[in-house]
Amino acid sequence: MTSAVELQGLSKTFQLSSGWGRRRVRRDVVAVDGISLDVPAGQAVAFIGPNGAGKSTTIKMLTGILHPSAGEARVLGYTPWKERRALVRHIGAVFGQRSQLWYHLPPRDTFELLARIYSLDRASYTRRRDMLIERFGLAPFLETAVRKLSLGQRMRAEVAASLLHAPRVLFLDEPTIGLDVIARQELRDLILEWNRDEGLTVFLTSHDAGDIERVARRVIVINHGRVVLDDKVSALRRQYLGSKILSVKFHAPVQPLVLPGVTTLKAAEYALKLEVDTRVAPIEQVMAAVLRAGSVADIAIEDPPLEEVIAHIYAQAPAGAG
Amino acid sequence: MIKRFANYLGLAAAYTRLNLGAQLEYRGAFVSQVAAMILNDSVWVVFWVLFFTRFPVLRGWNVADVITVWAMAAAGFGLAHAIYGNVLALATLIAQGQLDVWMLYPRALLPHLLLGRMNASSWGDALFGYGVYLAFVRPDLAHFAMFVALTLAVTLLFVGFGVLTGSLSFFVGNAAGLADQWRFAMITFSTYPAVLFEGAIKLLLYTLVPAGFVSYLPVQALRELSPGYALLTLLGALGITAAGVALFYLGLRRYESGNLMEMRG
Repeated sequence: MTSAVELQGLSKTFQLSSGWGRRRVRRDVVAVDGISLDVPAGQAVAFIGPNGAGKSTTIKMLTGILHPSAGEARVLGYTPWKERRALVRHIGAVFGQRSQLWYHLPPRDTFELLARIYSLDRASYTRRRDMLIERFGLAPFLETAVRKLSLGQRMRAEVAASLLHAPRVLFLDEPTIGLDVIARQELRDLILEWNRDEGLTVFLTSHDAGDIERVARRVIVINHGRVVLDDKVSALRRQYLGSKILSVKFHAPVQPLVLPGVTTLKAAEYALKLEVDTRVAPIEQVMAAVLRAGSVADIAIEDPPLEEVIAHIYAQAPAGAG
Repeated sequence: MIKRFANYLGLAAAYTRLNLGAQLEYRGAFVSQVAAMILNDSVWVVFWVLFFTRFPVLRGWNVADVITVWAMAAAGFGLAHAIYGNVLALATLIAQGQLDVWMLYPRALLPHLLLGRMNASSWGDALFGYGVYLAFVRPDLAHFAMFVALTLAVTLLFVGFGVLTGSLSFFVGNAAGLADQWRFAMITFSTYPAVLFEGAIKLLLYTLVPAGFVSYLPVQALRELSPGYALLTLLGALGITAAGVALFYLGLRRYESGNLMEMRG
């Protein structure tokens, strides 16, 4: 499979200056520290990390806005900072907190302007626009000024606008920020649909675990400018924490369970919620203890919430990071 | 080259239509801003008309010449900021790192980003400039054609000067205040008859505050219907614009390299 995004030892160091005159000092701050990765075309990747981890700096280098201090990067075969204008014809970008739609005008007017900016052929532009209007359900508010749209409608129009020039890679920076549950789900489904049906490579940054679970198949976690985890989203919960949540309901009252590697999260007269560290207490051992404790009415074994996993990863600073 | 220029003109027309459409969403506010600017400009012209009723000639210039200066400055300034409204915000855009979004489009950065905003009251300046020239000076066709051509050169001059001052943000941090002060000096000197100034100030008017390309050379070109003076006006505008563009792209290297960060202290 061909690569859509390739990074090799990509680094970025900023120089910070402070003070005046003789007291003026400069110091180097490493924002991105030798990142190497490869994203095949058509893959949906969540690129996550805590604030200040180096996500935005990396994306700015991948879109040609910033020059790296060291290393190489190729996006769709282009070196972004050397061939920015050629590259941006083939990539789209959506920023949850920055709109490219004209605030006082309807989305249709912005679409017309974008067709001009990208010098799109009239016939293919009209075809593409009409298809996006249909698939994103924009028709009811296409002629309504953007300022009068709900945030969910605006973000749908925003993503549609970024797909107008048929990009092959879409960079999404916090696309669901501020959206309600329904609007979030709608937007995630649309992005996923585009990734599956059109082979669009998706590069998503988000602090929302739901975005990561629903949209991405692979997650890359960076912290202190370095990649600290690169794995399938499905493997993340299973492997990284090695813990399970066990919820049990009994027919009769039971005593709390005391076992090494088992933490009681919640205890009621007829129910227990346990966190099991499977590296210390194998799950079958805990199950056997539960069955001995009383007559079981219902039992559920779950992975821990993704937020917890992510928080755990963020908390672990790589050795030597600063 | 011609095709690319035509494509750019099409883009500029599309932006102007869109910006105007956005302004007309608040029709009342737009019309009142335009009217207020016309009124503001008219007050100054009335002042000069009253002045020339007492002193008919000022160092060889009459009331028509001074009205021509005002018409030239207003039309040039107005067109520049009605179409390229982001010139006025350039220093802030740079200082706040807002060039990023413009760098994601497959267009030459500077001429594209300048189109992104319209200054509503500038339409008042532009309308006033052409209106007052037609109404007071009553030119023949040749003079009017030259006036229009010269206002385009002066438009270029104001855009170039705005880029030059705004681009200082790349080097000194937020230069919005400095750019504003410098622009006010330019506007002030552009609306006074250049014949009033001599010596060092005259030198200033063709260098640091290049108002001489608005308040002297175009007026001389129209007085004498002189292609020579018109050409000098155009050359001045091109020179200032070239300097502005060069400074912008020089500064952009610092932006792209991410070396614009400063800390207080």
